[in-house]
Amino acid sequence: MSISPIFSSKMFHRFICHFRQALPTRTLSSTAPETSPVEPNKNVIIEPRQLKFLPKYKEPCQVWVENLDTIDENKLGIIELHPDIFAVNPRIDIIQQNAKWQKLYRYVSYAHTKSRFEVRGGGKKPWPQKGLGRARHGSIRSPLFKGGGVIHGPKSPNPHFYMLPYYVRVNGLTSMLSIKLAQDDLHVVNDIEIPSDEPQYIKELIKSRNWGPSVLIIDEVDMMPRNITAATDEIQHVNLMPVYGLNVYSMLKHDTLVLTRAAVDLIEDKLLTALHRNSTFSYTKKFVLNQV
Amino acid sequence: MGSSAADKALNLLRYLPRVCLANIRDNPGAVKKSRRGRGQHGGDYHGDGNKGSGQRQNFMRLGYETGNNPFYLRFPWEPYYKGHHLRRQYPPLSLEQLQLFVETNRVDASKPIDLVSIMNTGLYQIFPDKHQFGVHLTDEGADLFKCKVNIEVQWASELVIASVEKAGGTITTAYYDQHSLQAMINTKKFFERGIPIPRRMMPPPDAIEYYSDPCKRGYLADPEEISKERLVLSQKYGYVLPNIEKDKDYTLLTERKDPRQIFHGLHPGWVVNLKDKTILKPQNEDLKEYYAS
Repeated sequence: MSISPIFSSKMFHRFICHFRQALPTRTLSSTAPETSPVEPNKNVIIEPRQLKFLPKYKEPCQVWVENLDTIDENKLGIIELHPDIFAVNPRIDIIQQNAKWQKLYRYVSYAHTKSRFEVRGGGKKPWPQKGLGRARHGSIRSPLFKGGGVIHGPKSPNPHFYMLPYYVRVNGLTSMLSIKLAQDDLHVVNDIEIPSDEPQYIKELIKSRNWGPSVLIIDEVDMMPRNITAATDEIQHVNLMPVYGLNVYSMLKHDTLVLTRAAVDLIEDKLLTALHRNSTFSYTKKFVLNQV
Repeated sequence: MGSSAADKALNLLRYLPRVCLANIRDNPGAVKKSRRGRGQHGGDYHGDGNKGSGQRQNFMRLGYETGNNPFYLRFPWEPYYKGHHLRRQYPPLSLEQLQLFVETNRVDASKPIDLVSIMNTGLYQIFPDKHQFGVHLTDEGADLFKCKVNIEVQWASELVIASVEKAGGTITTAYYDQHSLQAMINTKKFFERGIPIPRRMMPPPDAIEYYSDPCKRGYLADPEEISKERLVLSQKYGYVLPNIEKDKDYTLLTERKDPRQIFHGLHPGWVVNLKDKTILKPQNEDLKEYYAS
């Protein structure tokens, strides 16, 4: 295992997370296969992938395909990834807009205050207008009074739902996948079959491969093999997700993203379809609630 | 890694801490919050000034000149826009765009082109509920128009008719009512409704003249008259009229819809079942008579 020359600057960076400091032998296996002395297993042939809409002046990215059926990493081959999905400009602003939208669209504020007319009482003039030497007042529930109403206070329920434009959502996903690949936090596995249903197996696997403490495993289908489902069930920071659930917030939340080979195909296919639509009228028009 | 901005940014990210929920942000200044000002100077009138329209938003009605005889009453009435909310509109499509559609295989010129095939490109939209009644083929790119097409549009100028016919094609102007347009703008959605294809209505009285005019290549005009007008127009614009009778695509170029028909090959009253890929035709004699009339 070679250690990349960039490692030292990474290690001493003040913002680096504790997990990276605790595990100082990371390799750049996922994006720099030519620098690694590990030879791909010749017995397993990974067929070259057909990349649709391949741009003329961009090279496809390369990534190792790993296995999950042993604790130690076994490299099965290299596949090429589409540069329009896995090597686009990392737009941090678009990622932030996506994360914010995902938090807000389902958030409803139930904070509630009463105005001076909703607070009980206060119908009677508290004291005569003149003659007492006191300030004039019409109601004890005026906002000037203790226990009075609140001006411009929050009213319940206040939904914060809004829709992010379609291509901001698409570009959020491609930006996030590119960042995960660039930071060596994206791993491709041939499948998610593991020999044991013990959580300890997954824990040891993650530790031996220097994956982040939190791992998001994406498969093509939502009915996943029994062993990995049982093994990850108790571990709160290792989560399984089908491709249709892939989202920016979860990718930000988890340190490492593990895609199955089938999931890579499906993600590329879906995102390339979204990026190369013939007609975008129905996708880019203003979002309307209660539409038929 | 290459040398593009994206590659440089991705390369830089390899040296930076992991992008996570704690270290992302929007571009500075991307979101401007409108807030009611507070404090000594932001708070007093919150930027609205003192009294009047600025504070109360009771702006004067449009055209009111604070008591003067206003401009719109000072001069005689010129009703340019009379009934504008009722007038038929035809969103433009230029000959240049049409040629681009044909050359990039967005429309198939080996079949008659109508509103349905133009809508199916996904590059043209109409909204029948906004009084838009179809395509106005405009003359932009008329000099360079080279496609031999059989096209049906809803509005076309003389120059446009001349350039289509000079290129060896044919053009028809045809009227579709609102219900027909609704079926045509999204064919799949219409067929999924499972209702019979409606009859195309006749044009309203103020459009009858246009659509029966052989000069305008109206679909209700006499074909003999149209063929005469084709020759007249070629002489007016000084080109040799291509002889479509001798053309190998004669059947394509002369294919026309029935005035009651909306889709090529489908007749009013038929129900298209997309799921079973079948067409259901009316059997009842009364229905047949209704849809044939």
